[in-house]
Amino acid sequence: MSDETKPCCSSGNGEPTATRSAAPMWIIVVTLVLLFAGALFLDSHSGWFDKNVYAPYQSATQLESFQPKSGAAAALARGKGVYESVCGICHGSDGLGKPGQAPALAGSEWVTTKGFDRLAHIPLAGVAGAIQVQGKDWNLNMAAMGAALPDDDLAAVLTYIRVSWGNKASAVTGDDIKKIRSEMGKTSSAYSAEQLKAMPE
Amino acid sequence: MKTGFSVFLAALVAFGASWLGLVYGPLQQLGGAKETTVLQSGDKWPAQRTGAATLGLQVYQGNGCAACHTEQVHQTGAANVISITDLGSHKAADLRDFITSLMVVPELMNCSNAVTGNLAGWNGELPKVLYCGAQDTVVSLLGDKLKAVGVKTEPRVIATGADIARGWGTRQSVAADYLYDSPVPLGSLRAGPDLAAIGVRAPDLNWQLEHLYAPRSVVKDSTMPAFRYLFTVQKVGASPAPDALVLPREFAPADGYEVVPTAEARQLAAYLVSLKNNVPLYEAPFTPITAAK
Repeated sequence: MSDETKPCCSSGNGEPTATRSAAPMWIIVVTLVLLFAGALFLDSHSGWFDKNVYAPYQSATQLESFQPKSGAAAALARGKGVYESVCGICHGSDGLGKPGQAPALAGSEWVTTKGFDRLAHIPLAGVAGAIQVQGKDWNLNMAAMGAALPDDDLAAVLTYIRVSWGNKASAVTGDDIKKIRSEMGKTSSAYSAEQLKAMPE
Repeated sequence: MKTGFSVFLAALVAFGASWLGLVYGPLQQLGGAKETTVLQSGDKWPAQRTGAATLGLQVYQGNGCAACHTEQVHQTGAANVISITDLGSHKAADLRDFITSLMVVPELMNCSNAVTGNLAGWNGELPKVLYCGAQDTVVSLLGDKLKAVGVKTEPRVIATGADIARGWGTRQSVAADYLYDSPVPLGSLRAGPDLAAIGVRAPDLNWQLEHLYAPRSVVKDSTMPAFRYLFTVQKVGASPAPDALVLPREFAPADGYEVVPTAEARQLAAYLVSLKNNVPLYEAPFTPITAAK
């Protein structure tokens, strides 16, 4: 929509005046189509403005394919997933526990033990009755939440709680859990705090 | 002016669109940035700087370091890599035949040439890179197949690019790295090396101080000016100052004198050793090389 100068025909004295004339419709349409296509191209090559996607990565999917998948990182990611779907409901996704539901895992002396034998028995069989955690008394029942989990998943979630929220303890592997499971046999009743304390760490 | 309102509208749209794109959009995208978690650990990133290092950023700014140094590592690509670390009970030649025979698996056909090319002329030296490319499925599949026959492999993710090849970092710089920087001394001219990971390359405070006082005493052909005014040359008292620099003969002051860093020099050195970008993040992934377990 530009102002054009053209000789005015009606007056006939040749003095030019400004009038309006519309830009051709096809130019407007082509401009809009180009703008739209350009925006689409920009979006799809910059991960749709995802804050985690930096060049040279072009999309979140591509970035995901470059995440280290083996070793500690994978186990932790898996452990976090399992934790949040199974344990986090009561123990909290921040590991701080919830009053009347479950004690904290962050900094808990039951979690950051030197070994993980005793710790592994808790999700495998459950805990019943009075138990003291970080100087606080609890008297609740925990079901055998981990009994149905595959060895690798249970190991991952135990590793996750042992190294998260400031906890610094050793990692657990699937083979360890397998061994503990086979040693436990068919124990089905939940442990009391005294029974757990009697176990080696 | 007949067209005054149209001009106003056009200006509003032009400036409004720039503001949306250059201010509002980035603010929405990164304005709420918080510390992130380091991959493979529960640690937070970035770590808050110490007081001295925070002041050091001002010294860095005041002395115009950013005029010749950048603090941004660039990355032009990334690759999934799998390498053999242990042959198990196999011989290299047999294993080469076995891996070549795996290449008929549909998922591996694409990388067949790359893998067989890597294996050509291999005599069993370890670690041996099998595949280095974009596809993570190839890496996991090869890993599974080789694990099944007792061969140990190690999958890794690496960042690639000229800066990384120079050793200026292990991954690219991302917004999270600058969370506690104000202003962010990104820099644009590289008369000197990039400093985004100088704290990894030269973590020694004394090295940094010595380098600031006399760059050529530690880097032979350095073109960096000496920042001597950040140091005091003083007469040695009853006993030498504990923090006096230990300099080579050529750069040392006259006998009976010693070089002592001022508070500013100390802060700048503390800031420099705090510059690290060597941890893997979700947005800039790589597999760190850790001590063998």
